[in-house]
Amino acid sequence: MISSVCSLLVVWFALGSIGLFGCGSHQNSRADEAHETDPLGAQPIEPLPLTSDFDVARAALGEELFREPGLSGDGKVACTDCHHESHGWADDSAHSRALDRPESPVNVPTMYNVRYLYKLAWNGKYETLESHVDALMVNPKVMASSWEIATKHLAEIPRYRQRFAKVFRDGLTPNNVREAILDYERSLVTPNAPFDRYLRGDAQAVSAEVKEGYAMFKSYGCSSCHQGVAIGGNVFERFGVLRDFFADRGHFDSADLGRFNVTQREQDRFVFRVPSLRNVALTAPYFHDGSAATLEDAVKAMANYQLGRDLDERDRAALVAFLRSLTGEYRGQTL
Amino acid sequence: MNPSPALRVALAIFAFGFLGLLGYSALHSFDYAQEEAYSRDLRRVPAVTAQLNERVLKSRSALMTQYDPLVSAVRDLRALLTRLQLVPKFLGDAAALDLRAKLQQSEVALHKKDELVESFKTHNSVLQNSLHYFPILANSVIDRARAAPTGATVASRIQALISAIMLFDTSADTESTARVRAAQSDLSNALSAARELELGHELELILAHSRIILERKPITDALVQEVLSVPLPRLALSLEEAYSRHYRAATSRALLLRQILVGLALGTVVLGLTDVILRMRRAALALQTATGELRQANALLAREREKERELGELKTRFVSMTSHEFRTPLSVIVSSTDLLENYSERWTPERRKDHLERIRAAAGTMDHLLDDILLIGRAEAGVLRASPTELNLDEFCGNLVESLEHSSARSHDIRYAFSGNPTVSLDERLLSEVVGNLLSNALKYSPQGSQVDFDVLVSDEQCRFTVGDRGIGIPEADTPRLFESFFRASNANQIKGSGLGLAVVKKAVEVQNGTVEVETRLGQGTKFVVLVPRELSISRSSSSEL
Repeated sequence: MISSVCSLLVVWFALGSIGLFGCGSHQNSRADEAHETDPLGAQPIEPLPLTSDFDVARAALGEELFREPGLSGDGKVACTDCHHESHGWADDSAHSRALDRPESPVNVPTMYNVRYLYKLAWNGKYETLESHVDALMVNPKVMASSWEIATKHLAEIPRYRQRFAKVFRDGLTPNNVREAILDYERSLVTPNAPFDRYLRGDAQAVSAEVKEGYAMFKSYGCSSCHQGVAIGGNVFERFGVLRDFFADRGHFDSADLGRFNVTQREQDRFVFRVPSLRNVALTAPYFHDGSAATLEDAVKAMANYQLGRDLDERDRAALVAFLRSLTGEYRGQTL
Repeated sequence: MNPSPALRVALAIFAFGFLGLLGYSALHSFDYAQEEAYSRDLRRVPAVTAQLNERVLKSRSALMTQYDPLVSAVRDLRALLTRLQLVPKFLGDAAALDLRAKLQQSEVALHKKDELVESFKTHNSVLQNSLHYFPILANSVIDRARAAPTGATVASRIQALISAIMLFDTSADTESTARVRAAQSDLSNALSAARELELGHELELILAHSRIILERKPITDALVQEVLSVPLPRLALSLEEAYSRHYRAATSRALLLRQILVGLALGTVVLGLTDVILRMRRAALALQTATGELRQANALLAREREKERELGELKTRFVSMTSHEFRTPLSVIVSSTDLLENYSERWTPERRKDHLERIRAAAGTMDHLLDDILLIGRAEAGVLRASPTELNLDEFCGNLVESLEHSSARSHDIRYAFSGNPTVSLDERLLSEVVGNLLSNALKYSPQGSQVDFDVLVSDEQCRFTVGDRGIGIPEADTPRLFESFFRASNANQIKGSGLGLAVVKKAVEVQNGTVEVETRLGQGTKFVVLVPRELSISRSSSSEL
């Protein structure tokens, strides 16, 4: 009797399946491709987006971690030892030195707007934020740590265990430490600079001098390299096109080889990633070696080595005024 | 019908095969969303590459003044190729390997393209920088030169260089290159004149920028050509072709799988239904058989009841017949005894003797009747045994015939014939019952003076007794019941008899493992043939069930 019922069930199931498999053919619906806006005829500089996507809770946790010496291998060095919040998340000294670590071969750049950089580090060694932060964690001259070590250190602090448990479903894990840091980095965007407001149509946002400086910035060819949303950061260029910067400086470091150290291509000698000019007024000293102490110095050096020209006082002031108009807001506060 | 195990096995195979394949197809099922996303990504590779190429060209001709769109296109391509590494599972491992190998080529090409785009940006930036700055610088120097009385030559030579550079910027062929070189050397020659005008430094800068333009433009153009000639679209196309080939293969595999599934499902249905039908038929058959058996049992029961009823009747008849048979001689005895008691003193001694003879005869009849009844009774109770003894059959039969002739006062002509070895081993008493009854019946039912044949033939195995008369015969309808107790043929009513003789014969023959048969013709005579084994070694009980 039971086997009869079983037989019937099998039959019923099989019959149902015939219906299931006997019919139905798939129709592919091809979604139209998203089409992009073409900035043809637009300005070389794009304003920063007013909003950016990141996980707020993770970013807040990442901010704490950014100040946490527990991330480092010896538990002594925090990110903030080289990236100073009061200094536009850059370092005020030409070559950073954290505790007993060796001196940084290059000037530490700002953390702001890193998500808009095409490649990271002066020599463009890192293609993504992720690979960059991974490298800094294990770099013996920087954090001398690893995500696992950092996690171990953090696990000893109950506050972090609770915070991570709240933010991440699987709590405190090496990957989640990394994700929190990354979300914090993504959150460091400084929109609404006076010049961005000007680009968005607010003619009163900047002074006439700034406008003059911007015109000069374009006509002198600065915007050939410093362009895009980050006003730089998306192209590599030789430092010293018309004059030899390093000969004038008088000494030579291996870090001066720049991109050559990454690609080993002859053409990449003395080639650096063009730095972003966003918040540039906050992040002195300038250049990879921190050799320009002020914006005026930097503008002067750029005109000299890249353009072969000595700028007069007026031009330089206009350009500096323009650069100062690139300082944005973070969390609604002007920096 | 048997429960067919082959059918069950087939059904199980089909059902398990079906379920197994169903599971397999569920695991390897088409993920249409994944497929759609994947093929969309595939088609986006050449599209985004074209976008990138277009943006490079626009950057080259200063129609695009920022590199973010280039960067985002490269980024998109990189993301696309990374996503494409996740080949949809349903295509199979071989397809995944093939596609990944092709993707590897695309990635190499993209890496190359990225490097070329990087170089392009670097050179283009310098070129654009100089192209921007050169006319501004040159025009400002021209203005200053013209302001001086001796500056006309310098101004015109700078003007010539500007024109040459403008032309060069649009065509960059050998002719325009030569023209720029000529203008440069002309301007170089004017360097001392310029120095006098304090424009030497500016002139050198103009020359430097013109040299940069002359140098970088061909490099930039060549880089653009190289960027455009990276075979990424071709690779993407071959990737797409390979994908659609694998997709078709996977589709036809899925179709085949579906057909097999449908086949298996159909098979399962057919086999299952067959199984169900067979079960139902078997159940019906079992019911039928059970009904039949019940019916048979009922019939058997009815037969048994009938037999029982018949037996009861037989017993009743037996008792009534027996009492009837006994009453006749008893009444003779009673009446003769009464008569003798009352009238013997008056009667003659002859008459007294006659009545005493009647009494004796009636008693003899009763005795004989009792013997017959007892024999039949014992036979039917199963306690009648044959006790064979060695005897001379010829002598035994001769004696029997002689005593019968004597008692019948030679009323018939009995012709006795014997042949064979006369020494046999048979039950004498039972044999005398058989032969006596048959012979006396022959005499009783045939006219006086007629011939009665009695042949005895002894062979090695058996004895054959034949008793034939020329009497009234037996109606054919009565022969089946001839050997039943108290049965009397319908034509024998006029002749006195108990109806036990032939029953005794049959019992006595059967108890000796023999047979008795009758041949008769009404009005012409009857012949009984008895066959018994010659030597009855084992005594056996009557085969009767009663």
